Amino acid sequence: MTVLAEDDLQITLPSGVVGRKFDDETSHGLSHCMKAVDFIVEMDDCVLFVEFKDPENPKAKPKDSAAFIKKFLSGAIDSDLKAKYRDSWLYEMAEGRAKKPIYYLVLMGASSLSEAELLARTDALKRQIPVTGPGDRPWKKPFVAGCAVMNLASWNKVLPHIPASRVGP
Amino acid sequence: MSKITNIKLDNFTSFAGLDQPFSTGVNIIIGANGTGKTHLLKVLYAACAITVGEDKEKSFSLKLRNVFNPYEGRIGRLSRRQSTSVKTKATVTREGGAKLSAEFSNHTHKFDDVKLSGETAWKKDELASAYIPVKEMLAHAPGFLATAAKREIAFEEVYVDIIKRAFLPKLMGPIDKNRQRLLTALQKAIDGKVVAKGEHFFLKNKQGDLEFTLLAEGMRKLALIWLLIQNGTLLSGSVLFWDEPEANLNPALMGEVVEVILELHRLGVQVFLTTHNYVLLKEFDLRKQKDDQIRYISLFRDASEAVTAKASDSYLGVDPNAIAATFSDLYDRELKRSLGGIKP
Repeated sequence: MTVLAEDDLQITLPSGVVGRKFDDETSHGLSHCMKAVDFIVEMDDCVLFVEFKDPENPKAKPKDSAAFIKKFLSGAIDSDLKAKYRDSWLYEMAEGRAKKPIYYLVLMGASSLSEAELLARTDALKRQIPVTGPGDRPWKKPFVAGCAVMNLASWNKVLPHIPASRVGP
Repeated sequence: MSKITNIKLDNFTSFAGLDQPFSTGVNIIIGANGTGKTHLLKVLYAACAITVGEDKEKSFSLKLRNVFNPYEGRIGRLSRRQSTSVKTKATVTREGGAKLSAEFSNHTHKFDDVKLSGETAWKKDELASAYIPVKEMLAHAPGFLATAAKREIAFEEVYVDIIKRAFLPKLMGPIDKNRQRLLTALQKAIDGKVVAKGEHFFLKNKQGDLEFTLLAEGMRKLALIWLLIQNGTLLSGSVLFWDEPEANLNPALMGEVVEVILELHRLGVQVFLTTHNYVLLKEFDLRKQKDDQIRYISLFRDASEAVTAKASDSYLGVDPNAIAATFSDLYDRELKRSLGGIKP
Protein backbone atom coordinates (compact mmCIF):
# COMPACT_ATOMS: atom_id res chain seq x y z
CA MET A 1 0.00 0.00 0.00
CA THR A 2 1.20 3.48 -0.80
CA VAL A 3 1.52 6.07 1.92
CA LEU A 4 1.61 9.71 0.90
CA ALA A 5 3.10 11.87 3.63
CA GLU A 6 4.22 15.42 4.10
CA ASP A 7 5.74 16.51 7.37
CA ASP A 8 3.38 15.15 10.03
CA LEU A 9 0.29 14.27 7.95
CA GLN A 10 -0.23 11.16 5.85
CA ILE A 11 -2.87 9.25 3.93
CA THR A 12 -2.76 5.55 3.12
CA LEU A 13 -4.03 4.60 -0.34
CA PRO A 14 -6.03 1.43 -0.98
CA SER A 15 -3.91 -1.40 -2.44
CA GLY A 16 -3.38 -1.10 -6.16
CA VAL A 17 -4.04 2.65 -6.20
CA VAL A 18 -1.16 4.87 -7.23
CA GLY A 19 -0.47 8.36 -6.05
CA ARG A 20 2.36 10.80 -6.57
CA LYS A 21 3.83 13.83 -4.94
CA PHE A 22 3.03 16.76 -7.19
CA ASP A 23 4.04 19.90 -5.37
CA ASP A 24 7.79 19.85 -5.84
CA GLU A 25 10.02 21.23 -8.53
CA THR A 26 11.01 17.84 -9.93
CA SER A 27 7.36 16.82 -10.39
CA HIS A 28 5.97 19.68 -12.36
CA GLY A 29 9.01 21.83 -13.15
CA LEU A 30 6.97 25.03 -13.37
CA SER A 31 7.39 26.59 -9.94
CA HIS A 32 8.02 29.98 -11.51
CA CYS A 33 4.48 30.20 -12.84
CA MET A 34 2.19 27.81 -11.06
CA LYS A 35 0.90 26.69 -7.71
CA ALA A 36 0.33 23.00 -7.17
CA VAL A 37 -1.62 20.65 -4.95
CA ASP A 38 0.50 18.35 -2.77
CA PHE A 39 -0.56 14.98 -4.25
CA ILE A 40 -2.39 13.47 -7.18
CA VAL A 41 -4.02 10.08 -6.67
CA GLU A 42 -5.34 7.87 -9.49
CA MET A 43 -8.38 5.89 -8.40
CA ASP A 44 -10.20 3.46 -10.71
CA ASP A 45 -12.92 5.85 -11.74
CA CYS A 46 -11.73 9.22 -10.51
CA VAL A 47 -8.69 11.31 -9.64
CA LEU A 48 -8.04 12.98 -6.30
CA PHE A 49 -6.14 16.22 -5.92
CA VAL A 50 -5.02 16.32 -2.30
CA GLU A 51 -3.74 19.31 -0.36
CA PHE A 52 -2.42 19.16 3.22
CA LYS A 53 -2.41 22.14 5.58
CA ASP A 54 -1.03 21.47 9.02
CA PRO A 55 -1.16 24.31 11.55
CA GLU A 56 -0.98 21.76 14.39
CA ASN A 57 2.24 20.26 13.10
CA PRO A 58 4.26 19.57 16.28
CA LYS A 59 7.20 21.40 14.71
CA ALA A 60 5.15 24.52 13.94
CA LYS A 61 5.68 27.58 16.11
CA PRO A 62 2.54 28.55 18.10
CA LYS A 63 2.66 32.02 16.52
CA ASP A 64 2.62 30.54 13.01
CA SER A 65 -0.21 28.14 13.89
CA ALA A 66 -2.30 30.99 15.26
CA ALA A 67 -1.60 33.09 12.16
CA PHE A 68 -2.66 30.23 9.93
CA ILE A 69 -5.91 29.62 11.84
CA LYS A 70 -6.68 33.33 11.49
CA LYS A 71 -6.02 33.13 7.75
CA PHE A 72 -8.31 30.11 7.56
CA LEU A 73 -11.17 31.67 9.52
CA SER A 74 -11.01 34.96 7.64
CA GLY A 75 -11.23 33.18 4.30
CA ALA A 76 -7.87 34.52 3.13
CA ILE A 77 -6.84 30.91 2.50
CA ASP A 78 -9.60 30.35 -0.08
CA SER A 79 -7.88 31.99 -3.04
CA ASP A 80 -4.69 30.09 -2.24
CA LEU A 81 -6.54 26.77 -2.34
CA LYS A 82 -8.35 27.82 -5.51
CA ALA A 83 -5.11 28.69 -7.32
CA LYS A 84 -3.55 25.36 -6.40
CA TYR A 85 -6.50 23.47 -7.82
CA ARG A 86 -6.88 25.47 -11.02
CA ASP A 87 -3.18 25.45 -11.87
CA SER A 88 -2.87 21.74 -11.16
CA TRP A 89 -5.97 21.00 -13.24
CA LEU A 90 -4.69 23.05 -16.17
CA TYR A 91 -1.34 21.28 -15.97
CA GLU A 92 -2.90 17.82 -15.97
CA MET A 93 -5.28 18.71 -18.79
CA ALA A 94 -2.47 20.14 -20.94
CA GLU A 95 -0.53 16.95 -20.35
CA GLY A 96 -3.53 14.98 -21.59
CA ARG A 97 -4.20 13.29 -18.28
CA ALA A 98 -7.37 14.97 -16.95
CA LYS A 99 -9.76 12.36 -18.30
CA LYS A 100 -11.58 11.14 -15.18
CA PRO A 101 -13.68 13.23 -12.78
CA ILE A 102 -11.39 15.09 -10.36
CA TYR A 103 -12.13 15.60 -6.67
CA TYR A 104 -10.28 18.19 -4.59
CA LEU A 105 -9.64 17.19 -0.98
CA VAL A 106 -8.11 19.61 1.51
CA LEU A 107 -6.92 17.99 4.74
CA MET A 108 -6.49 20.37 7.67
CA GLY A 109 -4.39 19.27 10.62
CA ALA A 110 -6.40 21.46 12.96
CA SER A 111 -8.55 19.66 15.50
CA SER A 112 -9.76 22.95 16.98
CA LEU A 113 -11.71 23.90 13.84
CA SER A 114 -15.44 23.35 14.24
CA GLU A 115 -17.63 21.75 11.62
CA ALA A 116 -19.31 25.11 11.08
CA GLU A 117 -15.94 26.57 10.12
CA LEU A 118 -15.06 23.64 7.87
CA LEU A 119 -18.47 23.91 6.22
CA ALA A 120 -18.00 27.64 5.67
CA ARG A 121 -14.62 27.03 3.97
CA THR A 122 -16.01 24.15 1.90
CA ASP A 123 -18.79 26.41 0.64
CA ALA A 124 -16.31 29.21 -0.04
CA LEU A 125 -14.03 26.87 -1.98
CA LYS A 126 -16.95 25.66 -4.10
CA ARG A 127 -17.73 29.30 -4.95
CA GLN A 128 -14.09 30.16 -5.63
CA ILE A 129 -13.14 27.29 -7.94
CA PRO A 130 -16.10 27.62 -9.04
CA VAL A 131 -17.91 24.30 -9.03
CA THR A 132 -20.79 25.67 -11.12
CA GLY A 133 -20.79 27.98 -14.14
CA PRO A 134 -22.34 31.43 -14.58
CA GLY A 135 -25.89 31.79 -13.29
CA ASP A 136 -25.30 28.73 -11.11
CA ARG A 137 -25.79 26.42 -14.08
CA PRO A 138 -23.61 23.32 -14.41
CA TRP A 139 -20.51 23.62 -16.61
CA LYS A 140 -20.81 21.92 -19.98
CA LYS A 141 -17.45 20.32 -19.23
CA PRO A 142 -17.18 20.18 -15.44
CA PHE A 143 -13.60 20.56 -14.24
CA VAL A 144 -14.20 19.53 -10.66
CA ALA A 145 -16.44 16.69 -9.52
CA GLY A 146 -16.50 17.78 -5.87
CA CYS A 147 -14.41 19.46 -3.22
CA ALA A 148 -14.26 19.66 0.55
CA VAL A 149 -12.20 21.04 3.40
CA MET A 150 -11.84 18.47 6.19
CA ASN A 151 -9.98 17.79 9.39
CA LEU A 152 -8.64 14.34 10.25
CA ALA A 153 -11.88 13.24 11.94
CA SER A 154 -14.19 14.29 9.12
CA TRP A 155 -11.81 12.90 6.45
CA ASN A 156 -11.78 9.48 8.12
CA LYS A 157 -15.55 9.54 8.48
CA VAL A 158 -16.23 10.21 4.81
CA LEU A 159 -13.19 8.47 3.28
CA PRO A 160 -12.55 5.46 5.55
CA HIS A 161 -10.90 3.57 2.65
CA ILE A 162 -8.18 6.25 2.40
CA PRO A 163 -7.32 6.70 6.09
CA ALA A 164 -5.61 9.91 7.15
CA SER A 165 -3.46 10.21 10.24
CA ARG A 166 -0.52 11.94 11.84
CA VAL A 167 2.91 10.49 11.06
CA GLY A 168 3.88 10.81 14.72
CA PRO A 169 7.31 10.44 16.27
CA MET B 1 -26.60 45.85 43.96
CA SER B 2 -25.50 42.28 44.61
CA LYS B 3 -25.67 40.10 41.52
CA ILE B 4 -27.57 36.88 40.87
CA THR B 5 -25.62 33.73 41.68
CA ASN B 6 -28.06 30.85 41.33
CA ILE B 7 -31.48 29.65 40.25
CA LYS B 8 -33.29 26.57 41.47
CA LEU B 9 -36.42 25.47 39.64
CA ASP B 10 -38.44 22.49 40.81
CA ASN B 11 -41.22 21.43 38.45
CA PHE B 12 -41.37 24.90 36.93
CA THR B 13 -42.62 24.85 33.28
CA SER B 14 -40.32 22.36 31.51
CA PHE B 15 -37.75 22.14 34.35
CA ALA B 16 -37.94 19.20 36.76
CA GLY B 17 -35.03 19.99 39.06
CA LEU B 18 -32.71 22.66 37.75
CA ASP B 19 -30.05 23.99 40.12
CA GLN B 20 -27.82 26.30 38.14
CA PRO B 21 -25.05 28.59 39.38
CA PHE B 22 -24.43 31.72 37.28
CA SER B 23 -21.44 33.82 36.35
CA THR B 24 -21.55 37.38 37.66
CA GLY B 25 -20.37 38.29 34.14
CA VAL B 26 -22.07 37.07 30.94
CA ASN B 27 -24.35 34.01 30.93
CA ILE B 28 -25.13 32.65 27.48
CA ILE B 29 -28.04 30.23 27.41
CA ILE B 30 -28.36 27.89 24.45
CA GLY B 31 -30.65 24.97 23.67
CA ALA B 32 -33.17 23.74 21.12
CA ASN B 33 -36.65 25.29 20.90
CA GLY B 34 -38.84 24.42 23.86
CA THR B 35 -36.04 23.92 26.39
CA GLY B 36 -37.12 26.92 28.47
CA LYS B 37 -34.40 29.47 27.73
CA THR B 38 -36.82 32.40 27.80
CA HIS B 39 -38.54 30.99 30.91
CA LEU B 40 -35.24 31.08 32.76
CA LEU B 41 -34.71 34.72 31.76
CA LYS B 42 -38.23 35.70 32.81
CA VAL B 43 -38.00 34.18 36.31
CA LEU B 44 -34.70 35.97 36.92
CA TYR B 45 -36.07 39.20 35.49
CA ALA B 46 -39.20 39.05 37.69
CA ALA B 47 -36.94 38.66 40.73
CA CYS B 48 -34.89 41.73 39.73
CA ALA B 49 -37.83 43.89 38.62
CA ILE B 50 -39.61 43.84 42.01
CA THR B 51 -36.63 45.51 43.71
CA VAL B 52 -36.91 48.82 41.81
CA GLY B 53 -39.43 51.58 41.10
CA GLU B 54 -43.15 51.01 40.71
CA ASP B 55 -42.69 47.22 40.51
CA LYS B 56 -41.61 47.33 44.16
CA GLU B 57 -45.33 47.37 44.94
CA LYS B 58 -45.71 44.00 43.21
CA SER B 59 -45.06 40.65 44.80
CA PHE B 60 -42.70 38.16 43.12
CA SER B 61 -45.70 35.98 42.28
CA LEU B 62 -47.62 38.84 40.66
CA LYS B 63 -44.60 39.83 38.58
CA LEU B 64 -44.10 36.20 37.58
CA ARG B 65 -47.71 36.01 36.47
CA ASN B 66 -47.44 39.24 34.50
CA VAL B 67 -44.25 38.38 32.63
CA PHE B 68 -45.44 34.87 31.77
CA ASN B 69 -49.08 35.84 31.14
CA PRO B 70 -50.55 32.33 31.58
CA TYR B 71 -54.12 31.56 30.47
CA GLU B 72 -56.66 33.31 32.73
CA GLY B 73 -53.76 34.51 34.87
CA ARG B 74 -53.61 31.11 36.58
CA ILE B 75 -50.21 30.79 38.17
CA GLY B 76 -50.61 27.02 38.54
CA ARG B 77 -50.26 26.77 34.75
CA LEU B 78 -46.56 27.47 35.27
CA SER B 79 -46.19 24.12 37.05
CA ARG B 80 -44.54 21.36 35.08
CA ARG B 81 -47.28 19.44 33.34
CA GLN B 82 -47.69 15.97 34.88
CA SER B 83 -50.56 13.54 35.23
CA THR B 84 -50.47 13.96 39.02
CA SER B 85 -50.48 16.95 41.38
CA VAL B 86 -47.23 18.88 41.20
CA LYS B 87 -45.44 21.04 43.75
CA THR B 88 -43.53 23.87 42.11
CA LYS B 89 -40.81 26.03 43.59
CA ALA B 90 -38.65 28.75 42.08
CA THR B 91 -35.73 30.13 44.09
CA VAL B 92 -33.30 32.84 43.05
CA THR B 93 -30.13 33.52 45.07
CA ARG B 94 -27.91 36.61 45.10
CA GLU B 95 -24.39 37.40 46.23
CA GLY B 96 -24.36 37.42 50.02
CA GLY B 97 -26.83 34.55 50.10
CA ALA B 98 -30.17 36.43 49.96
CA LYS B 99 -32.86 34.10 48.61
CA LEU B 100 -36.28 34.74 47.08
CA SER B 101 -38.70 31.84 46.56
CA ALA B 102 -42.19 31.23 45.27
CA GLU B 103 -43.99 27.97 45.97
CA PHE B 104 -47.26 26.82 44.46
CA SER B 105 -48.92 23.82 42.87
CA ASN B 106 -50.60 23.15 39.56
CA HIS B 107 -53.91 23.76 41.39
CA THR B 108 -52.98 27.30 42.49
CA HIS B 109 -55.07 29.87 40.64
CA LYS B 110 -54.34 33.24 42.21
CA PHE B 111 -50.93 34.80 42.47
CA ASP B 112 -51.61 35.83 46.09
CA ASP B 113 -52.09 32.19 47.05
CA VAL B 114 -48.43 31.59 46.20
CA LYS B 115 -46.19 31.02 49.23
CA LEU B 116 -43.39 33.55 49.07
CA SER B 117 -40.30 33.63 51.22
CA GLY B 118 -37.45 36.09 51.60
CA GLU B 119 -39.24 38.87 49.72
CA THR B 120 -38.96 41.67 52.29
CA ALA B 121 -35.21 41.30 52.72
CA TRP B 122 -34.79 40.76 48.96
CA LYS B 123 -36.44 44.08 48.08
CA LYS B 124 -34.16 46.05 50.40
CA ASP B 125 -31.29 45.65 47.96
CA GLU B 126 -32.19 47.25 44.61
CA LEU B 127 -31.17 45.40 41.46
CA ALA B 128 -31.89 47.52 38.38
CA SER B 129 -32.54 45.50 35.24
CA ALA B 130 -33.78 45.59 31.67
CA TYR B 131 -35.33 42.77 29.67
CA ILE B 132 -35.07 43.03 25.91
CA PRO B 133 -37.62 40.71 24.31
CA VAL B 134 -37.18 39.08 20.91
CA LYS B 135 -39.72 41.39 19.31
CA GLU B 136 -38.56 44.97 18.96
CA MET B 137 -40.98 47.28 20.78
CA LEU B 138 -39.82 50.88 20.48
CA ALA B 139 -41.42 51.37 17.08
CA HIS B 140 -44.74 50.30 18.62
CA ALA B 141 -44.46 52.56 21.66
CA PRO B 142 -47.07 55.18 20.65
CA GLY B 143 -50.27 54.36 22.48
CA PHE B 144 -48.96 51.03 23.70
CA LEU B 145 -48.51 51.96 27.34
CA ALA B 146 -51.96 53.56 27.62
CA THR B 147 -53.61 50.58 25.97
CA ALA B 148 -51.69 48.13 28.12
CA ALA B 149 -52.58 50.11 31.27
CA LYS B 150 -56.28 49.75 30.44
CA ARG B 151 -55.63 46.01 30.12
CA GLU B 152 -57.13 46.10 26.67
CA ILE B 153 -54.37 43.90 25.36
CA ALA B 154 -52.93 40.88 27.11
CA PHE B 155 -49.24 41.34 26.42
CA GLU B 156 -46.52 39.76 28.48
CA GLU B 157 -45.36 42.53 30.81
CA VAL B 158 -41.79 42.41 29.50
CA TYR B 159 -43.02 44.37 26.47
CA VAL B 160 -44.53 47.14 28.58
CA ASP B 161 -41.50 47.24 30.86
CA ILE B 162 -38.94 47.74 28.12
CA ILE B 163 -40.89 50.66 26.66
CA LYS B 164 -41.14 52.26 30.11
CA ARG B 165 -37.41 51.90 30.61
CA ALA B 166 -36.70 53.40 27.21
CA PHE B 167 -38.80 56.45 28.14
CA LEU B 168 -36.80 57.13 31.33
CA PRO B 169 -35.14 60.57 31.17
CA LYS B 170 -31.44 61.00 30.48
CA LEU B 171 -29.28 60.42 33.54
CA MET B 172 -28.00 63.75 34.88
CA GLY B 173 -24.47 64.44 36.03
CA PRO B 174 -21.10 63.70 34.50
CA ILE B 175 -20.74 60.58 32.36
CA ASP B 176 -17.75 58.47 33.26
CA LYS B 177 -15.13 57.72 30.64
CA ASN B 178 -16.07 54.11 29.95
CA ARG B 179 -19.76 54.81 29.62
CA GLN B 180 -19.05 57.69 27.25
CA ARG B 181 -16.83 55.47 25.14
CA LEU B 182 -19.61 52.93 24.82
CA LEU B 183 -22.20 55.60 23.96
CA THR B 184 -19.88 57.05 21.32
CA ALA B 185 -19.27 53.61 19.79
CA LEU B 186 -23.01 52.97 19.62
CA GLN B 187 -23.69 56.39 18.13
CA LYS B 188 -21.20 55.55 15.43
CA ALA B 189 -22.90 52.22 14.75
CA ILE B 190 -26.40 53.69 14.54
CA ASP B 191 -25.16 56.91 12.95
CA GLY B 192 -26.94 59.26 15.33
CA LYS B 193 -28.68 59.67 18.67
CA VAL B 194 -32.13 58.64 19.80
CA VAL B 195 -34.67 61.27 20.80
CA ALA B 196 -38.21 60.85 22.09
CA LYS B 197 -41.00 63.24 21.13
CA GLY B 198 -44.11 62.40 23.07
CA GLU B 199 -44.46 58.66 22.66
CA HIS B 200 -42.50 58.54 19.39
CA PHE B 201 -38.83 57.62 19.10
CA PHE B 202 -36.62 59.08 16.37
CA LEU B 203 -33.06 58.58 15.27
CA LYS B 204 -31.55 62.03 15.01
CA ASN B 205 -28.62 62.56 12.67
CA LYS B 206 -27.37 64.89 9.95
CA GLN B 207 -30.27 64.00 7.68
CA GLY B 208 -32.81 64.97 10.34
CA ASP B 209 -35.16 62.88 12.48
CA LEU B 210 -35.96 59.40 11.27
CA GLU B 211 -38.91 57.65 12.90
CA PHE B 212 -38.23 54.21 14.35
CA THR B 213 -40.72 52.52 12.06
CA LEU B 214 -38.42 53.43 9.14
CA LEU B 215 -35.30 52.00 10.78
CA ALA B 216 -33.94 48.50 10.24
CA GLU B 217 -34.81 46.32 13.24
CA GLY B 218 -31.16 45.63 13.95
CA MET B 219 -30.54 49.37 14.24
CA ARG B 220 -33.50 49.74 16.60
CA LYS B 221 -31.89 47.20 18.92
CA LEU B 222 -28.63 49.10 19.09
CA ALA B 223 -30.60 52.32 19.53
CA LEU B 224 -32.44 50.78 22.48
CA ILE B 225 -29.16 49.81 24.15
CA TRP B 226 -27.93 53.38 23.60
CA LEU B 227 -31.05 54.70 25.36
CA LEU B 228 -30.69 52.29 28.28
CA ILE B 229 -27.07 53.30 28.82
CA GLN B 230 -27.80 56.99 28.41
CA ASN B 231 -30.68 56.98 30.90
CA GLY B 232 -28.73 54.98 33.47
CA THR B 233 -30.77 51.76 33.35
CA LEU B 234 -27.64 49.85 32.43
CA LEU B 235 -25.06 50.96 34.97
CA SER B 236 -22.53 49.01 36.99
CA GLY B 237 -24.39 46.56 39.20
CA SER B 238 -27.45 46.28 36.96
CA VAL B 239 -28.62 43.22 35.06
CA LEU B 240 -29.35 42.96 31.34
CA PHE B 241 -31.60 40.18 30.05
CA TRP B 242 -31.54 39.86 26.27
CA ASP B 243 -33.64 37.25 24.51
CA GLU B 244 -32.03 36.31 21.19
CA PRO B 245 -29.97 39.43 20.41
CA GLU B 246 -29.48 38.02 16.91
CA ALA B 247 -33.15 38.33 15.92
CA ASN B 248 -33.48 40.50 12.80
CA LEU B 249 -29.83 41.41 12.99
CA ASN B 250 -27.55 41.28 9.97
CA PRO B 251 -24.75 38.81 10.85
CA ALA B 252 -22.26 41.55 9.96
CA LEU B 253 -23.57 43.59 12.92
CA MET B 254 -23.26 40.65 15.30
CA GLY B 255 -19.67 41.47 16.18
CA GLU B 256 -20.63 44.99 17.27
CA VAL B 257 -23.49 43.70 19.40
CA VAL B 258 -21.19 41.19 21.11
CA GLU B 259 -18.60 43.91 21.67
CA VAL B 260 -21.28 46.11 23.29
CA ILE B 261 -22.38 43.22 25.55
CA LEU B 262 -18.77 42.53 26.55
CA GLU B 263 -18.18 46.23 27.23
CA LEU B 264 -21.30 46.37 29.41
CA HIS B 265 -19.99 43.34 31.31
CA ARG B 266 -16.63 45.07 31.77
CA LEU B 267 -18.50 48.09 33.18
CA GLY B 268 -20.03 45.79 35.81
CA VAL B 269 -23.38 44.84 34.22
CA GLN B 270 -24.41 41.21 34.71
CA VAL B 271 -25.76 39.78 31.46
CA PHE B 272 -28.11 36.90 30.68
CA LEU B 273 -28.80 36.16 27.04
CA THR B 274 -30.31 33.37 25.00
CA THR B 275 -29.24 32.50 21.49
CA HIS B 276 -29.75 30.12 18.60
CA ASN B 277 -27.01 31.72 16.59
CA TYR B 278 -23.62 30.27 15.79
CA VAL B 279 -22.12 33.59 14.71
CA LEU B 280 -23.07 35.20 18.03
CA LEU B 281 -21.55 32.32 20.02
CA LYS B 282 -18.40 32.35 17.96
CA GLU B 283 -18.06 36.13 18.24
CA PHE B 284 -18.02 35.74 22.03
CA ASP B 285 -15.42 33.04 21.73
CA LEU B 286 -13.20 35.17 19.47
CA ARG B 287 -13.67 38.54 21.21
CA LYS B 288 -13.43 37.33 24.81
CA GLN B 289 -10.48 38.80 26.68
CA LYS B 290 -8.53 37.19 29.48
CA ASP B 291 -10.47 38.74 32.35
CA ASP B 292 -13.93 38.44 30.80
CA GLN B 293 -16.22 36.05 32.64
CA ILE B 294 -18.42 34.11 30.28
CA ARG B 295 -20.47 31.04 31.14
CA TYR B 296 -22.21 28.97 28.50
CA ILE B 297 -25.29 27.15 29.79
CA SER B 298 -26.67 24.43 27.57
CA LEU B 299 -30.29 23.37 28.17
CA PHE B 300 -31.48 20.03 26.85
CA ARG B 301 -34.10 17.38 27.55
CA ASP B 302 -32.97 14.26 29.40
CA ALA B 303 -34.40 10.76 28.97
CA SER B 304 -37.45 11.68 31.07
CA GLU B 305 -38.10 14.72 28.82
CA ALA B 306 -37.32 17.10 31.70
CA VAL B 307 -35.04 19.99 30.84
CA THR B 308 -31.66 19.89 32.45
CA ALA B 309 -28.52 22.00 32.08
CA LYS B 310 -24.79 21.68 31.64
CA ALA B 311 -22.53 24.67 32.02
CA SER B 312 -19.04 25.44 30.83
CA ASP B 313 -16.82 28.49 31.09
CA SER B 314 -15.17 27.72 27.75
CA TYR B 315 -16.83 27.62 24.34
CA LEU B 316 -15.35 24.27 23.40
CA GLY B 317 -16.65 22.78 26.63
CA VAL B 318 -20.29 23.50 25.71
CA ASP B 319 -21.99 20.13 25.53
CA PRO B 320 -24.47 19.42 24.14
CA ASN B 321 -24.16 22.34 21.73
CA ALA B 322 -27.43 22.40 19.80
CA ILE B 323 -26.14 25.16 17.55
CA ALA B 324 -22.87 23.50 16.56
CA ALA B 325 -24.69 20.17 16.19
CA THR B 326 -26.87 21.73 13.49
CA PHE B 327 -23.74 22.68 11.55
CA SER B 328 -22.28 19.26 12.13
CA ASP B 329 -25.30 17.70 10.47
CA LEU B 330 -25.16 20.18 7.56
CA TYR B 331 -21.44 19.53 7.12
CA ASP B 332 -21.94 15.75 7.08
CA ARG B 333 -24.58 16.08 4.39
CA GLU B 334 -22.42 18.49 2.39
CA LEU B 335 -19.46 16.07 2.44
CA LYS B 336 -21.72 13.23 1.39
CA ARG B 337 -23.03 15.28 -1.52
CA SER B 338 -19.62 16.64 -2.59
CA LEU B 339 -17.55 13.50 -2.17
CA GLY B 340 -20.15 10.74 -2.45
CA GLY B 341 -18.77 9.86 -5.90
CA ILE B 342 -15.43 8.64 -4.53
CA LYS B 343 -15.96 4.90 -4.42
CA PRO B 344 -13.75 2.55 -2.39
